[in-house]
Amino acid sequence: MPVVPLERLPLPNLKVYSFVSVVALSACIYYAAQIIKEPNWNYPTEFDKKDSGNAAGARNTTDADGRTVGQFVSDVFTVMIREPVCVWTMINMAFCWFILLGRAVQKLVFGDLRVSEQQQLRDKFWNFVFYKFIFVFGIINVQYIDEVLLWCSWFSLLGFLHLLSQLSKDRFEYLSFSPRTPFWSHVKLMALLAAIFALSGFMFVVSIFVGFFGGLNTFFFMFYEVLLLAIRTLHVIIRYAFHLYDIRNESTTPATSEESRTLDKRGPVSYYFELGFDLTALIIDLIHHLHMLLWSNIFLSMASLVICMQLRFLFHEIQRKYKKHRNYLWVRNHLEQNYPMATKTELQENSDNCAICWENMDAARKLPCGHLFHNTCLLSWLEQDTSCPTCRMTLNIQNPSVTSLEPPELQADPQENTRRPFNHFFHFDGSRYVSWLPSFSVEVSHVQAIRQNHMAATNSQLDAMARQVQTLFPHIPLSTIIEDLRVTRSVELTVENVLDGRLVAPPMFRDLNLDEPTGRHTLSLLSTEPEPSSRNWDEFNTDSVETEDTVTLGSRFSKSSTEREKILHKRKEHMIQQARKRYIEKQKAAATAVRCELQS
Amino acid sequence: MAGSALRRLMAEYKQLTLNPPEGIIAGPINEENFFEWEALITGPEGTCFEGGVFPAKLVFPADYPLSPPKMQFTCEMFHPNIYSDGRVCISILHAPGDDPMGYESSAERWSPVQSVEKILLSVVSMLAEPNDESGANVDAAKMWREHRDEFNRIAEKIVRRTLGIPT
Ligand SMILES: [Zn+2]
Ligand SMILES: [Zn+2]
Repeated sequence: MPVVPLERLPLPNLKVYSFVSVVALSACIYYAAQIIKEPNWNYPTEFDKKDSGNAAGARNTTDADGRTVGQFVSDVFTVMIREPVCVWTMINMAFCWFILLGRAVQKLVFGDLRVSEQQQLRDKFWNFVFYKFIFVFGIINVQYIDEVLLWCSWFSLLGFLHLLSQLSKDRFEYLSFSPRTPFWSHVKLMALLAAIFALSGFMFVVSIFVGFFGGLNTFFFMFYEVLLLAIRTLHVIIRYAFHLYDIRNESTTPATSEESRTLDKRGPVSYYFELGFDLTALIIDLIHHLHMLLWSNIFLSMASLVICMQLRFLFHEIQRKYKKHRNYLWVRNHLEQNYPMATKTELQENSDNCAICWENMDAARKLPCGHLFHNTCLLSWLEQDTSCPTCRMTLNIQNPSVTSLEPPELQADPQENTRRPFNHFFHFDGSRYVSWLPSFSVEVSHVQAIRQNHMAATNSQLDAMARQVQTLFPHIPLSTIIEDLRVTRSVELTVENVLDGRLVAPPMFRDLNLDEPTGRHTLSLLSTEPEPSSRNWDEFNTDSVETEDTVTLGSRFSKSSTEREKILHKRKEHMIQQARKRYIEKQKAAATAVRCELQS
Repeated sequence: MAGSALRRLMAEYKQLTLNPPEGIIAGPINEENFFEWEALITGPEGTCFEGGVFPAKLVFPADYPLSPPKMQFTCEMFHPNIYSDGRVCISILHAPGDDPMGYESSAERWSPVQSVEKILLSVVSMLAEPNDESGANVDAAKMWREHRDEFNRIAEKIVRRTLGIPT
């Protein structure tokens, strides 16, 4: 398979890496200290004779054994700056510090990362590295090593902040899934977000400074990225603030949650807020890429192709957002014009809660079928499906301008934002830009994303392919083969998977009898089973371990989440035990009945 | 947004705890993530799955109840409407937009008025009466149609496994 599993890249262990870095740096310092022991070390030897001619003469007189500590350090530094190996070691050390800093922040704020967060982080990281690589060598086309270094340090800092911001966003979304997040995690996460935001201000200053010397284009290239970072971070901060506000209100006014709902049901305000942030970020990104494309003047190179791909993606995103927005406006107008708000008496007659959010209604919109819902709840549902949620009566909301919009696209929208498959194929021909660059091809692929797509494959085709595979491997059930085919989409690859032992029959089928050649072989294991009546059911102990007051547990809903978890766990255990007991007793009864019949 | 989804899930959890339907228990696996539940479903009486207690995992999307949750049995299952990896294929779990099988009318599909309880009740009735037209598990559908006794034996075996009784 052409996919390079990035997870399996042999990345060195952090401990080993920092140890090696420290050792290398110490070796360099030792080397420099040895050099400056010689009195004449400062004579220019290998480079730049004309510049240091007089300076060396002047300094040589003062260069005696009586150096101060400050002098010593600066001398060591001077030596190290001259030696390319030492320079690289220092850069490596800085990089090492950076990673350690990142690790410290992660330990402090996030604790252990969840698997999905790790994966997301890895994807983002490699994507960022590839795009920036292309930017530095393809667009800017740097010639000098120091320029490369400057860009690298800029992008490391930027990438670091971007990744942290992304991680905070993921974590915030995860925390909002839980009703019992400790207060401190919110504080820490908020502090981190604020710090990222402040740092993006600092980076803005840096970009102005660099732009002052490097020209307007450089300034803009740096500025877009900073702006993007700031906007994304601000977006998360504001969403987070709203969320915290909601939570607080809820905890202070648990029963009459009328005010608390107002924020979450901000309706249009929250909608336009999200839309505004998303669109701004997309448009800035689009401008950034357009600028790169126009400025670089390399219309026929790999770099411009990558940029164009990205541009296309951004353009489609914006278009999608726009279509969705038009649909939203249409549905909203339609609602407001055709369906009146319910009157007070109607509200009183209908004592039920809103069927969508299960919360009490003080104001509601009435559909022609007589069903009442919150305005915002109804709106968000009708955006994706134009029928009454309760009775499925079709409402005549068909926006003529968006009929071209495929419904599944609209429908799948919320998930699509987060799970857009990352499947970029890069072929980078480095020698095109700078002679010493390597050429490589890498496909960054998202394993999960591939799995997500599998629903799309047509069933009949898969079925045919699966039967083809099954003729070769009759011991593997068709459904297992189909599952694998959904991923591989190729008979050859699935066959390979079977041969390599990656695809095995599920446990139920594993112990089956392979001798039977016909189609029904897969399930034949069950025919060798002993008859239930021949089994000695008395050996099974039906005395369940007495769980205290399990029955009363059922009718309580505790306020504390740990207690709720405990109760739920006990209820589950109790249920399984009861079922087991019932089953064994029934079998015993059946066995005795058979025995009686035999005796009589 | 996740806030309203969380509130609704909490309300459903409360209802399912206070008035549990016969033979069904459901709740978050760990309250740190309220969007992943485990459900225990007792096999309906008078069917081949009678007596078994089948564990399943429910994963809710952030925009629940606008989109349906995903349901997957975590024990071995052999049933025409359950994929071999445990994913459940019933119309109530399909969003109105997608129609993998191409024959469901939208009236049977997901809508926000559905709930965890209704999903689980539909799964119970699915266990009782498989719909052998849906091709989630072709082998099981075929056996259900043509060799019912054999199907029942497998079901019996699964029931015992879920109860921890050696087969
Ligand atoms: Zn509502
Ligand atoms: Zn209605």
